[in-house]
Amino acid sequence: MLKILQVSPGVTLRCFFDDRFKQEGLSLQLVRPMCKQEAAMNALLPAVLLRGCKSAPDLRAITQRLDDLYGAAVGAQVRRVGDYQTTGLSCSFMKDRYALEGDQVFDPMMAFLQEMFLSPLTRDGAFCEEFVESEKRNLLSAIAAQRNDKRAYAAQQMIARMCKADSFGIPRLGEKEDVETITAQSLYDHYQKILRESPAHIFYVGPAEPETVAEKLAPMFAGLDRKTVTLPPQTGFYDQGGCDETEVMDVAQGKLCMGFATPVTLRDEGFVATQLFNTIFGGGMISKLFMKVREEMSLCYDIGSSYHGSKGIITVSAGIDNNMDKSVRQEILRQLEACQRGEFTPQELEAAKQALLSQLKSTHDSPGAIEGYYATAALSGLPLTPEEYIREVEQATAEDVAAAAKQVKPHTVYFLKGDV
Amino acid sequence: MEKIYYPQVGETLYKEKLPCGLQIAILPRPGFTKKLCYLVTDYGAIHTAFTLEGEKITAPGGVAHYLEHKLFDMPGRDITGEFAALGAVPNAFTSYDMTAYYFSCTENFRENLALLMEFVMTPYFTEESVAKEQGIIGQEIGMNEDSPENVLFETLVKTMYDSHPIRTPILGTRESIAQITPEVLSTCHQAFYRPDNMLLCVIGDVDAELVRDMAQEMMEKLPCPKVESVRSWDEEMKAQTPYVKVNMEVAMPMFQLGFKCEPLPNGAEGVHQEIVGDLAAEALFGESSPLYLKLYEQGLIDASFGGGFETVEGMAMLTATGDSEDPEAVRDAILQEAKRLGETGITEEDFLRMKRSALGRRIRGLDSFESTCFRICAYHFSKFDYFEIPESYRLVTKEHLQEFLQRVVTEGRMCMAVVAPKEVN
Repeated sequence: MLKILQVSPGVTLRCFFDDRFKQEGLSLQLVRPMCKQEAAMNALLPAVLLRGCKSAPDLRAITQRLDDLYGAAVGAQVRRVGDYQTTGLSCSFMKDRYALEGDQVFDPMMAFLQEMFLSPLTRDGAFCEEFVESEKRNLLSAIAAQRNDKRAYAAQQMIARMCKADSFGIPRLGEKEDVETITAQSLYDHYQKILRESPAHIFYVGPAEPETVAEKLAPMFAGLDRKTVTLPPQTGFYDQGGCDETEVMDVAQGKLCMGFATPVTLRDEGFVATQLFNTIFGGGMISKLFMKVREEMSLCYDIGSSYHGSKGIITVSAGIDNNMDKSVRQEILRQLEACQRGEFTPQELEAAKQALLSQLKSTHDSPGAIEGYYATAALSGLPLTPEEYIREVEQATAEDVAAAAKQVKPHTVYFLKGDV
Repeated sequence: MEKIYYPQVGETLYKEKLPCGLQIAILPRPGFTKKLCYLVTDYGAIHTAFTLEGEKITAPGGVAHYLEHKLFDMPGRDITGEFAALGAVPNAFTSYDMTAYYFSCTENFRENLALLMEFVMTPYFTEESVAKEQGIIGQEIGMNEDSPENVLFETLVKTMYDSHPIRTPILGTRESIAQITPEVLSTCHQAFYRPDNMLLCVIGDVDAELVRDMAQEMMEKLPCPKVESVRSWDEEMKAQTPYVKVNMEVAMPMFQLGFKCEPLPNGAEGVHQEIVGDLAAEALFGESSPLYLKLYEQGLIDASFGGGFETVEGMAMLTATGDSEDPEAVRDAILQEAKRLGETGITEEDFLRMKRSALGRRIRGLDSFESTCFRICAYHFSKFDYFEIPESYRLVTKEHLQEFLQRVVTEGRMCMAVVAPKEVN
């Protein structure tokens, strides 16, 4: 069961009680509007926080502390949720009951997480320069390494072009030139600012009572002179025109990415029907794209579509032979048109429903999935609990799905072509 | 059915070997909605040489993976679609030493289980569909050739090993898969998809008796021909070539280091050696090690760095991989640190902390259906009961780690592969 507590102004604690797991999880996120000026800083911040705090001043000391807590894990969590970017830490740790007698994990973990979040190692009112510089190098190489995964790279290039006027086009980790200009001082000032003014969202899953968790975390924001700034509401896709581009690179397999727009977001009626449309169209191994374009016509190796419900964007990505892009894109559009005419069988609709239902029904079977669903839903504005979502899926009709498909319009194409 | 309770991990496992030879393992998860079911065979990419009823056979590289793809074909039926209609997502993977078919579902468990056993145990290969698959797997090979991680690993093992079949990629090569015919696939299916070479593993809120009865009914009439497959290879511990480099479209050099280790025996002794290798890796270059901190602070490694002890049937190696502008410096530092630790040893405090951490992570890992099911299966084929692992940790001492580091992490057993950016003219 989900319980929501207001720990202090602008600090929301969501607790999901569950005693079936061997571990507990806690995530702590500051929520920012996604914008180019600070995307890189928000991406960098948690990595710097994880480099050292007062009582554990270097990586080794931090790892040793976590090892003592039975291999607890703390990681940076930087997410894009629609127009927002979240930055913070998340941890998972073994339940006390599996520890040796007399050992505790929960209490020291709560204390350590707070310390890492609020008492980083500083020097002269700034972060330690060597931490910031080395994490900048890490972030820069993570940004550079995005080129290594050609499928993800092509998808990102397509989104950047399609969303040139929308926050969705801003890379989640920021851009090279923005990372390079960050200093130990500018990042520290930013950190202080967002600690004071950003809404904070805390999510806990495990067996502890919400009041206990709240009590452990209360000291956290108490000392801060906080004035929470209200976030602007989430918006749908802001369209400033599409394009059709080809980039040549030395790769064996071409990657074709197509972007589609729909006015329907997860905040709107018609969301569930659009989700079902996407599943029938390209969401898995029984979708039209997979069965027709890959299995029947052998036009590609892999193909699939995703619906970014917080924005109303659908992306299709396919790994293809370098000279096949014309036929593949024609066929993708043909399959979309078929969906729009309602040309899918009752079996296809039922299979899509089953796929979504199965996923929704197992939401509560893993701590990560629980956090992923509820923490993201709260920020993106998804108004449905998994149970309500399930009901809507069950009730959706073929007409609903065809109507949702009709709203979907081709927008942008990007083709990464092999130089062979 | 045998019911075993493991108090240290809080798990109960039902096990039985059925009269048809099939082993079953069921891990109940009361109160959970999801059910995960694996049907696995003790057969992977490396098992290409075998005898079937006395006849000696050498199959082309990549056949286990090819077979995995083709088993989804059934005359006039669409297996994936049938699973989908039952609300399940079927999938499969082939590793070097195991092939697994699985589904997860929330509803219709019985029907899904029956379908899984039916399609895996029913070979159906036509000339046409086998020929068509060449194109699909050819594309998959193409994708792997574009993946630097993959090229790095395959280059390393190909350079490091002289006779172990890990030298051939799991997918095979374009040349080897061209030799695959319906007959080849039938022969391999007959040899390795026999009930007495397989395990059925289920996790979820299911009725163990029902699973047993269904499996017995589906499998009892299936033949178990006599098969002997080659499962060990002569391999010197000396790495013949210490360094290999390839150029690709990457942003920064990527490296992978390997140190050859003796293949592991089956059972608890093998698991003991695996834990020793894992903990030795942790002590040498894990995140709590002095070396990791030093290299990280010097900027020689970054968050991509990692490693551990890797095993495949008939081989084992200690490996470390990551991105670095100076892979040679990382390599030299690791060798030097191994020498130091080999001489001075590890403190008792550090050692106990590492053990506690490793065990805690294993226990947390049990929350994942996928990783738990995979581990039960993989350890089953090496004749070990995964939930006994806390006891195996207890028996490892810091002297074991020291001995391992002295013996293994040396120049003679080492090979390094580097994928470097293309040089600009």
